[in-house]
Amino acid sequence: MARQLSVIDDTVAPPPAPPAPSAPGERTIRIPVSGMTCAACQARVQRTLQRQPGVVDAGVNLMMHDATVRYAPDAVSPEQLVAAIRDTGYGAELPPEVEDAFAEQEARDGAQAEELAELKHKAIVSGTIGALAMFAPMTLMPFVPHGVINGVLLALTVFVMTWAGRHFYTRAWTAFRHHSADMNTLIAVGTGAAFVYSLIATVAPRFFLQRGVAPDVYYEAVIVIIALILTGNAFEARAKTATSAALRALAGLQPVSARVVRGDDEVDVPIADVRRGDVVAVRPGERLPTDGEVVDGESAVDESMLTGESAPVPKAAGARVIGGTINRTGALRYRATTLGADSVLAQIVRLMRDAQGSRAPIQNLADRISGVFVPVVVSIAIATFVIWFVAGDVAGVHAPAVRAFAAAVAVLIIACPCAMGLAVPTAVMVATGRGAEVGVLIKGGEALQRAGAVDTVVVDKTGTVTEGRPTVTDIVAAPQSTRTDDELLALVASLESSSEHPLADAIVRRARERGLTLARAERFLSATGLGVSATVSGHEVLAGNEALLAERGIDSSPLRYAEARLSGDAKTPVYVAIDGALAGLLAVADPIKSTSREAIAALRDQGIDVVMLTGDTERTAQAIARAAGIERVVAGVLPEGKVAEIERLQARGHVVAMVGDGVNDSAAIARSDVGIAIGTGTDIAAEAADVVLMRGDLRSVVHAIALSRRTMRTMKQNLFWAFVYNVVGIPVAAGVLYPAFGWLLSPVIASAAMAFSSVSVVTNSLRLRRARLS
Amino acid sequence: MSGMAWLVIVVGIAAIGWVNWYFFIASRRSDWGKE
Repeated sequence: MARQLSVIDDTVAPPPAPPAPSAPGERTIRIPVSGMTCAACQARVQRTLQRQPGVVDAGVNLMMHDATVRYAPDAVSPEQLVAAIRDTGYGAELPPEVEDAFAEQEARDGAQAEELAELKHKAIVSGTIGALAMFAPMTLMPFVPHGVINGVLLALTVFVMTWAGRHFYTRAWTAFRHHSADMNTLIAVGTGAAFVYSLIATVAPRFFLQRGVAPDVYYEAVIVIIALILTGNAFEARAKTATSAALRALAGLQPVSARVVRGDDEVDVPIADVRRGDVVAVRPGERLPTDGEVVDGESAVDESMLTGESAPVPKAAGARVIGGTINRTGALRYRATTLGADSVLAQIVRLMRDAQGSRAPIQNLADRISGVFVPVVVSIAIATFVIWFVAGDVAGVHAPAVRAFAAAVAVLIIACPCAMGLAVPTAVMVATGRGAEVGVLIKGGEALQRAGAVDTVVVDKTGTVTEGRPTVTDIVAAPQSTRTDDELLALVASLESSSEHPLADAIVRRARERGLTLARAERFLSATGLGVSATVSGHEVLAGNEALLAERGIDSSPLRYAEARLSGDAKTPVYVAIDGALAGLLAVADPIKSTSREAIAALRDQGIDVVMLTGDTERTAQAIARAAGIERVVAGVLPEGKVAEIERLQARGHVVAMVGDGVNDSAAIARSDVGIAIGTGTDIAAEAADVVLMRGDLRSVVHAIALSRRTMRTMKQNLFWAFVYNVVGIPVAAGVLYPAFGWLLSPVIASAAMAFSSVSVVTNSLRLRRARLS
Repeated sequence: MSGMAWLVIVVGIAAIGWVNWYFFIASRRSDWGKE
């Protein structure tokens, strides 16, 4: 792929959120763009694309070096879009036919490693030359003529500027031609001015001597400034590589081959040759090559790399497995289901890649300042020169231009827009990576920022607080009944096997678990909202609620006390009557997940209100809420009622996160400020949610919110220090402290400060990698 | 104040004016021209 990662990634700017999914008739294309170095470049390419006829929406991502364009194919072609980008002066080309997230990540890693190696090499060589240029002239002065020393320094400076620092000048020139300016402009103008001054002093020393000024040269300053900035860039590149370590680790989970069962043999085939429906064999300790469904064998699979769940998950026939996870204990055979770009791992890698390049709204202020920063700094540098010169002239200082010149160069060199540009994107990158490590997929900077502000979490009951899989918990025989529990269960299960109700499923499953034989149900009747009846093995069997029994004239009072007790424990009672007489009571319950109570307590410790929404009856809902430690419950709500409840909370000024299963709760998830889909769906990318939890565990919600809050804190620290650095550094370089303290910053010290300001911002963001989330 | 100082002031003000014109005003004009 010809995508180019720039050797120096300067003012890393604010990639916009990718355009929304394509509507019918529209297409979306990602075009690799090269040569962009700053926010101004990004804005220019984006504006150009947005103005093309047929373009619905366009977003340019500076961190990823690409443009995502939604367009109408009958109005504009991909080739025209590429040509439009090239017209602006940047490189662009059509993307490859098949987008492979893993190959793309590999290419990006390769380019990053190359960038780092090149920067290191250039920094070491120019640093060595800089040290020589600083100290050798003092030693050689008594033995070698002044003109020769200056000539050698001139040659060394030209070498360093054209070899190690060439890209500063070429990029500054490209930006200048487009009426924009970036960090390269400051370096190019600062070192260029020092170089021209020194060159005149070397070739025409009389010009200075005639004006009573010593023909001093600044060659060593030019070399050392370039060396220090390259060193800072190398550190920055290394730190930036670390920010995408989590994504790289995920992409590295994809095995290159699979052992596929062909007839009686197991054949090793490249992963690209595995087809849907192939049976794949994995031995203990091996990584599963694709997603699939187990057809044979039993094992425990380590899914921690995707879900953050440390305990291996038992798998047997019928269980779903995910490619990239590790088979631990037994041999498994499974049928491959989703492959390539549709696989869960590829979807996660794609989602993470998009999230890592997305922007957070907090960056807007930094963007506005970065946009005008460089021309303002150049203006300040000119003003600095003028003020120093005039002040020196008025005070009768000898050669006022020398000091004025040093101060102006220091202003140009110390100003650092990159620290501001890096403050937010690096935090987004590290935080989304850290989230993925614990099974929390955050879809971008905006979601991250909103999640940090959440004060109310609304949870769905079924499948979120509870397991979502009802089971039979109690069997109570009627006082006069002579049947055993198993006989009763077998009759009811036979009846319920014709029903599709979730409670029926729980009863039939329980009967099968106990090895009971089910008979055929005849004359099956279902009364909606009441229950079911049929003839089973010659008996008239009835299962339903109290109202159904009352309708048939059967007295349910002998079991009313048991019914009340079970209801109070959040269980749903099912009355059973056989041949017109009350036979017993089955209780079905959806047990609370073992981690729900702890998670809800942790959310409340974070100062977050938890509200449970459910379609269940008030009594069952209250019992579940009590057991889970939830104080506020809204029961009996339909899906539209959930949306209304979220709107009501938002109207009161709350920032609401809705946690649900992503399918039944999709409307409420979409309406909330932060939609959190819990549990592992196979179609992660299609979820409407802002945050997808790979683990069906409410503790992940705690992690998501803790991570978001921590990230917001990091972003604010980064922005604060980046602003303070410039607000303090520029005036000090301009010499405001000189009148009071006699302090003046040399351009060399200024370059060291500038080089390491962005390193400190990236390093602060990297602290998020070790953030404790529980 | 010497004549040189006056020259530096005039050239400095002109340079600041040009930088701001080139990067803020001329850049917008060039964008409008492409619309």
